[in-house]
Amino acid sequence: MVETGIPKLDEFLGGGIPKGKSLVFYSQPGVEGEIFGLQTVHQTLKKGGTCVFVVSSTIPDIVKGQFKEFGWDISLFKDKLFFVDSYNPLIGAPSNEKYVISNPDKIEDFNKTIIDIIKELPPSTIVFGSLSTVMDLCGEKETIEAVRTWNKMAMLYDHVIVYNFTAWPYSDETLNLIKGDLFNSVISIGGIAERVIFGQYFGILKSDWAQITRKSMLFRVLRPGGIKIFIPKILVTGPFDAGKSTFVHALSTRAISVDRLGTTIAMDHGHVDYKGFSADIFGTPGQERFDPIIKLLSGESMGVFLVVDSTNPSDFIRAKHMLEITKSYGLPYVVVANKQDLPEALTCEEIREQFHLPDDVPIVPAVAKDKIGVYEAFEVLIDRITGGI
Amino acid sequence: MPDTIDLVDKLLADLKNVGGVIACAAVSRDGLLIRANMQKEQFVESLAAMSATILGASETATTHVEMGIPTRVIVETDYGKLVVVGAGPKALLIVLAGQNIGLGLVLLELDKSAIKLKEILT
Repeated sequence: MVETGIPKLDEFLGGGIPKGKSLVFYSQPGVEGEIFGLQTVHQTLKKGGTCVFVVSSTIPDIVKGQFKEFGWDISLFKDKLFFVDSYNPLIGAPSNEKYVISNPDKIEDFNKTIIDIIKELPPSTIVFGSLSTVMDLCGEKETIEAVRTWNKMAMLYDHVIVYNFTAWPYSDETLNLIKGDLFNSVISIGGIAERVIFGQYFGILKSDWAQITRKSMLFRVLRPGGIKIFIPKILVTGPFDAGKSTFVHALSTRAISVDRLGTTIAMDHGHVDYKGFSADIFGTPGQERFDPIIKLLSGESMGVFLVVDSTNPSDFIRAKHMLEITKSYGLPYVVVANKQDLPEALTCEEIREQFHLPDDVPIVPAVAKDKIGVYEAFEVLIDRITGGI
Repeated sequence: MPDTIDLVDKLLADLKNVGGVIACAAVSRDGLLIRANMQKEQFVESLAAMSATILGASETATTHVEMGIPTRVIVETDYGKLVVVGAGPKALLIVLAGQNIGLGLVLLELDKSAIKLKEILT
């Protein structure tokens, strides 16, 4: 198995890309699809694999710079990473790379070099920086024929072969082939500007070795960092003095609060970077007089932490009411049973009973002030939001 | 589709070019950043959330005493000014301006941009 290193994608693919398989990252124009290939290269190298990167749309040095931008030090892997330069010859510049395609507008030249590489190298990950560029230079039909051959060869020699492809207006026949039969797996990458969430998403269109999850993931590209699953808004709500602000601060990489006289009057805002996820956390005030603000800020959230004080069951009614105010019913939510360190704290089971919570709502015990249970709660909620497998 | 993003970027770039404007951003009413034209990118999400709170709280406060909806909220500090205006039911615009800037032109352009943003997002 070769991992792509893209959070959730490997999981969706059943662990990664098996040896001998081909995969295409099929991007709409204008989205940052090429990073998927780069991240796959880096992940392969990190796991001790060998990589070949076919550079088509820019000089190899720029690609090396891109790795650096993401904070991925490829100089550590000098004898494990090979570039195939098909750009410098195009502009008549000399190349320093081991493999050079001397006539990048002739598919025969590509064929020869790629097949040599496939035969020569131990099972590796071969990544095409831009299949669309190859196609622009060599023709659609010719390129597709060549890709067919490379995929077969890669299968025989146990390589994993990955292509970045941008869906420019090629012929329907070409696009359908690429989305359909040509590859073992197709990951589609697109952009949305729906309501106010502007972003990019990826999803699996096809995979012949794993059960397909028909779910799209929002992502953003961080420099450094690479592709992170993006969750624009997670709400933290709950009754007065349950420990919402403490929870937001415990969870967040960085957070700010508006509190006066010891209580939150506007909101808490925090940002979490954790295990490949990038999420923004909105903490609401708890007191009833601030309910208008809660209503205002709770739109568009993707999941909810309901923080309750385990020692104070009289507040559970208010807690339920807050789920209503935030219109959170129907959204995935996790109950955080806070203040578990206090002697009179109820257990999760007692809380479930008093709260009349259905069995499928997770309750996570926590001591927010000591950061106990907060990441567990985050993982549980993320799993729910992303339809965890 | 991605065109909307380009349009918002263009609008923000124009607004940023107004004399005295240090940074600007388009934010959803519920506090999510849409796009920003700003140097310190890492703080912009919090600024977005807080600005939406400021405007929302102001609107709630004034409508409760039957004063109508605020035209804008201006926050002045020793170091600069923060202006928040609503831009339709979905979004709002924020501008950071320098401390010694007369706000006349900025407000004029900001109001125009708010109308444009409302159009872009509908």
